[in-house]
Amino acid sequence: MSTFYVIAFLSIVFSLLVIFAKNPVHSVLYLILTFFTFTIHYILLNAQFLAVVNFIVYMGAIMVLFLFVMMLLNLNKDTEPGKHNLAKLAGVIAGGCLLVVIAGSLKALGKSEPVVLQNPDLGLVKNLGKVLFGEFLLPFEVSSVLLLSAMVGAVLLAKKEPRTV
Amino acid sequence: MNTLILISVLPILLLYLGVFKAKNALLPVTVIGLLAAAGLAIAGWNANATPIYHDMVLFDRFSIAFSVITILSTVLILLLSKDYFEKISSHVAEYYAVMLFSLAGIICMVSYYNLTMLFIGIEIMSVSLYILAGIKKRDFASNEASLKYFLMGAFSTGFLLFGIALIYGATGSFSISVIRDWILTHPRGIDPLFHTGVLLIIVGLCFKLGAAPFHFWTPDVYEGSPSLITAFMSTVVKTAGIAAFLRLFQSAFSTISDFWMPVLLVITVLTLFIGNITALYQQSFKRMLAFSSISHAGYLLFAVVALGAASANSVLIYAAAYSIASIIAFGVLILVQQQADSDHFSSFNGLGKSNPFLAFVLTVAMLSLAGIPLTAGFIGKFYMFTGALSRLQVWLVIIAVVNAIISIYYYFKVIVAMYFRGGEERTVLAVPGYFVFVLGLSALLTIVLGVYPTLIADINF
Repeated sequence: MSTFYVIAFLSIVFSLLVIFAKNPVHSVLYLILTFFTFTIHYILLNAQFLAVVNFIVYMGAIMVLFLFVMMLLNLNKDTEPGKHNLAKLAGVIAGGCLLVVIAGSLKALGKSEPVVLQNPDLGLVKNLGKVLFGEFLLPFEVSSVLLLSAMVGAVLLAKKEPRTV
Repeated sequence: MNTLILISVLPILLLYLGVFKAKNALLPVTVIGLLAAAGLAIAGWNANATPIYHDMVLFDRFSIAFSVITILSTVLILLLSKDYFEKISSHVAEYYAVMLFSLAGIICMVSYYNLTMLFIGIEIMSVSLYILAGIKKRDFASNEASLKYFLMGAFSTGFLLFGIALIYGATGSFSISVIRDWILTHPRGIDPLFHTGVLLIIVGLCFKLGAAPFHFWTPDVYEGSPSLITAFMSTVVKTAGIAAFLRLFQSAFSTISDFWMPVLLVITVLTLFIGNITALYQQSFKRMLAFSSISHAGYLLFAVVALGAASANSVLIYAAAYSIASIIAFGVLILVQQQADSDHFSSFNGLGKSNPFLAFVLTVAMLSLAGIPLTAGFIGKFYMFTGALSRLQVWLVIIAVVNAIISIYYYFKVIVAMYFRGGEERTVLAVPGYFVFVLGLSALLTIVLGVYPTLIADINF
């Protein structure tokens, strides 16, 4: 239990730092740390597959994309442009609405019995594979069409045309 | 299942043909393959269909009818593609392949029995369409269409997926039959999880269908995409969207129609008015067709609003009539665009004198879209309105009739331009043989269906 509280505290601290960091690159680096704490949460919940996917896809692939975009657009300046007053007002209203919603849902919250997993091995990769290749075999196979189509399309769009139209 | 397998394997064959530079074989192989797929689908008509592969898909008569209609529309559109893709670039095989992949997704969409299959079908269709919308790489309008379609499509997929996840959370299953049984065994008021899920699914599907207020991507995407792809998007894709909509709401959510019916009613009325009134102000024929496709989405939604035993029949006949008429309209548009390099109404001036055949088939198509008697479009509207009247939705029908009258104005604009606005003599358009075949056949079908609607209206689902 204490591990959970430490990690949850770290998650909140890092996600606050994402917002408050002036330099966008630092912001992204804090985001990586936030995602890393999420990975630990998943492991604590015994969801191995989610943890691995979160680690590889989010921390690896998507964060690198973020950094690339920042490099290409040359966004790594310390100062961010001043926001328009109207935008600030809209932000305050939107944030206030969110606060009201959270407060309202917290009021309706009751302390529930701790959920006991029927099967503690539920999140293991082995069980997931059994479901994927058993019950969900057809969707799994059909998604290959999706990937193939996307692959053909990506090559088609990215390939240089020999003649100018 | 054989249809789905054939349509998934056919594009791979086409890609190989493209590798071996067998360009002339592409179109015949595609058409023969698609006709074979349609034949395989029809062969299963009398089979006693049960859900297969752990209740993932169900190839019943509903799915067969809609598979056949989408496959045949695709064949007609592909026949128009002769020499069309070659003008864009030399990678013709890939275009055919991506289009067929999209059709494979559509087959999943009309025959799913599990929400995961619905989602994967929609994604296969959409991802292929994002690519097809942007195949004119040097054309900014095409780039814009592709990007807009991608962003809006990804956004709407989020809604759909969230809805599916909430329904899974409430019922514990993706299977349509389990969801239906869950509703029957939990007849209490409103379950926040489940009913929010239903609403989010409506939002996601309306995005894909292009129904107001989720229609705003439609005009730009339809106008910017290459005309042939727009024809595919506004006929085949729309038919698949409404079929998926109807299948889900008829087989899973029909018992809670009191909950979602008012929502869909508002969406339908909004769609009709926004589509028709905005179409009045268009100067471009292609953009007018885009707005008219929005209003037709409204008419198609009638079948879901007035859900009943005959809904599938009326959607089938309406979608068939609308697809055939739109194929004619886009076919003529492609020819006129090649000559005049513009899709403005004025580029149709004098077509009645120079090309009487083109002008005649386009007139038939416009009359059918407007719903004038003796055309298929009238029969489609007639069945839709009868269905709505049988559920005592008189006001809805009155609003729809008013909208049909508004639509006559803008459909007749092009007829007036062709026959009564001459001005200078225009040169005769050369009409390739493929076009004569497709346009003639479609015009014939429109009139035959208008005179003998029982041909497909009496299909027993």
